[in-house]
Amino acid sequence: MKRLLWFSLLICAVSFLACAHNGGLNRPASYGYKVDIPEGWRQIDNNRYFLLTKDNPFKQYILVQNRPIGKSFRHTKKKMRTTMLPEEAAQIVVDELISDQNLVNLKLLNNTPEKINGYDGFKILYTYQDAEGHTFKTLYYGFIKDDTFFNLRFTASDRFHFQRDIEAFRIMLRSFEIVKAETA
Amino acid sequence: MNTRLSKLFLFLTGLLLLLVATACSTRYKPEISLVTDSLLASEAEQMLWQKSEREQRTIERNGLIYTDAQLESYLNQVVARLMPETVPADLVIRISVIKSPYLNAFAYPNGMIYIHSGLLARMDNEAQLAAVLAHEMVHCIHRHALRAFREYRNQPAYLIAVQQALLKTKGLQKLAHSMGVTGAMAAISGYARELEAEADRIGFEWVLRAGYNPKEALALFDQMLSDLAQDGCEEPFYFGSHPQIRQRADNLQNLSLPVMIDTSAPNKSSHAFFAQLDQLLLANARLDIRLGRFQVARESVEKYLSIKPDDTRAYFLLGEIHRQRGLCSDVQTALDYYGRAIRLDPSFAAPHKAIGLIHYKKGQHALAKKFFESCLQLSPNSPDKAYIKGYLKRCTLSEES
Repeated sequence: MKRLLWFSLLICAVSFLACAHNGGLNRPASYGYKVDIPEGWRQIDNNRYFLLTKDNPFKQYILVQNRPIGKSFRHTKKKMRTTMLPEEAAQIVVDELISDQNLVNLKLLNNTPEKINGYDGFKILYTYQDAEGHTFKTLYYGFIKDDTFFNLRFTASDRFHFQRDIEAFRIMLRSFEIVKAETA
Repeated sequence: MNTRLSKLFLFLTGLLLLLVATACSTRYKPEISLVTDSLLASEAEQMLWQKSEREQRTIERNGLIYTDAQLESYLNQVVARLMPETVPADLVIRISVIKSPYLNAFAYPNGMIYIHSGLLARMDNEAQLAAVLAHEMVHCIHRHALRAFREYRNQPAYLIAVQQALLKTKGLQKLAHSMGVTGAMAAISGYARELEAEADRIGFEWVLRAGYNPKEALALFDQMLSDLAQDGCEEPFYFGSHPQIRQRADNLQNLSLPVMIDTSAPNKSSHAFFAQLDQLLLANARLDIRLGRFQVARESVEKYLSIKPDDTRAYFLLGEIHRQRGLCSDVQTALDYYGRAIRLDPSFAAPHKAIGLIHYKKGQHALAKKFFESCLQLSPNSPDKAYIKGYLKRCTLSEES
C-alpha cells in the first residue's frame, strides 16, 4: 500500500513537473507581487498558489501566498486584521499549524520578528511529520500589508535538501517585491 | 509483488473490519451470539488486540496523550464503579485522555478507552462522565468490535470508504492517522445502530446500578447539539453524526428510570467534578483559544474559577480571550482580567506583556514600555523576547522623538 501511495505521489509529481516553468523568470505582477525564480527551480502551474520546486514538491518547495486579510483559515476561526502586529499575525499562523490535524509532532523551533524587504513581519521555523511519518522542516515568513497577508515559505523533506536549498529561498526572498496589480 | 500486496490488503481489510465492529456499525445482526465460534473469533480477536496495541503505541508516540496521573486515577475509579460482575477474562478497562478540544470518546477492543479533553471539559458532573464511559465499556466488554468485524469481513469496499471519510473529517485527521483504521472507525463512525442501542441500554443499567442518574447525559447531548449547530457541523462527535446524537438522546429518553433512584449519590456536584478535572479545564481552554472558539474557552475557564477562584493563569486566559477576540469593547475587560492576574501573582510575566501590547497598539508607548520592561525582568529568557525587545526599541524611539 505504501508503495502504491508513493507511486501515486510520484505520478502527481511528474504531472506537476510536466507543466512547469523553468527558473530565472519573474512572477507576473498581476498577482500583486513579483519574485525572481531561483535558477534551476521550476514553477508549478497552479491557479491558486505560486509553488516552486527544484526536484519535486515532495523533496522541497517554495510557496508564496497573498491572501486577503479577512479570509478564513482552514482550522482556526481567528482572522487576521490590518491592525495586527507581526507577532499577533505569527500567533494566528502558529495556532493554525497546531490545530492542523495533518501535521503530527509539530515542533515550533523559532518565532521571531523579521523584516521582509522593509516590511515588518515575522519568521517561524518548525518541523512536523506527515501521515506517513516523514519529517519536514519549514521556514515561514509573513507580514501584513494593507488588506493582504503575504507569506513565503520553504519546506524540505530532510536535512540535506533543507541545507542545500535554503540559500535559493533566501535569494528569492530578497527579490520579493510588492507591485501594483496589473489589470487584464 | 501481487501476493504481498494481496496479503497487505487482506490484513488492512481485517483491521478495518475489527475497528468497525468495535465502534458502531449498521448491518449488525442482533441474533449473533458473542464469540461463540471460538477459534475464528479468537484468532480475529487476537489480531484485533495486536492491532489495537500498535495503534495505541502510535497515539502515545505522537504526543496526543494528556498526562495527569491524578485525573487518570479518578477516571479509573469511575470505571471501577461501573464495572459489571462478569467481564471477559484478560479484559482490563483503562482510560486515557487525548489532548483535543473536539468532542469525542472511543473504545478499542482490548479495553483501552480514550476520551478527549474537549468532551471532559464540556461535562458538568460525574454522572455525565459515567454515562459516556459506560457506553464505551459496553462496546469493549460485549465485544462489539469483534461482532462488527464478523459482519463486515466481506465488505472491504465499505470499510475503505469509511476510512477515507474519516481521514477527511475536520479535527480528527491527526488522530485518525495515528490510530489507523480500527481506531478511526471506533472514534468516528461508531457501530451499527443496534450495537449502539445495546450500548445505550446496557450502559444505562450499569450507570443506574452504580448510583448515577443516567438521564444526566441528556444535558450533555443537548450541549453537543448546541455546539454542533454553533460550529456549523464541523465538529466530529463520538456519536458519529448529528442524527446519531439525536438517536442516542432518544434511546436514553425512552429508557425508564426506576421509581426510586438514589439522589444522594456523591456524584451530583459539579464543583467536585470540576475539581477532579482541575488543570484539564485550562489546558483545553488553551486549545479552544487557538481554534478561536472563545466562548467555549471562556466556559471552561469559568468552570475552573468556580473551584479555584484565585488562580492567576485563569484570569490571564480570560484576558487573552478578550484581547484576541479583538472587539473594541473587549479591551478594557481584557485589561481588567490581566490586572487581576497580576494582583494575584505579580511575578507572572505573561499578563505584563499582554498589557504592554494593548498600550503599545494604542500608541501609549510610555505605559507600554513599563509593562514590557517588567515582563522581561520577570522572564528574561522568554521565547518571545525578540518581539518584546523590538517593542521596547520603538517605545524608546517614540519617547525620544
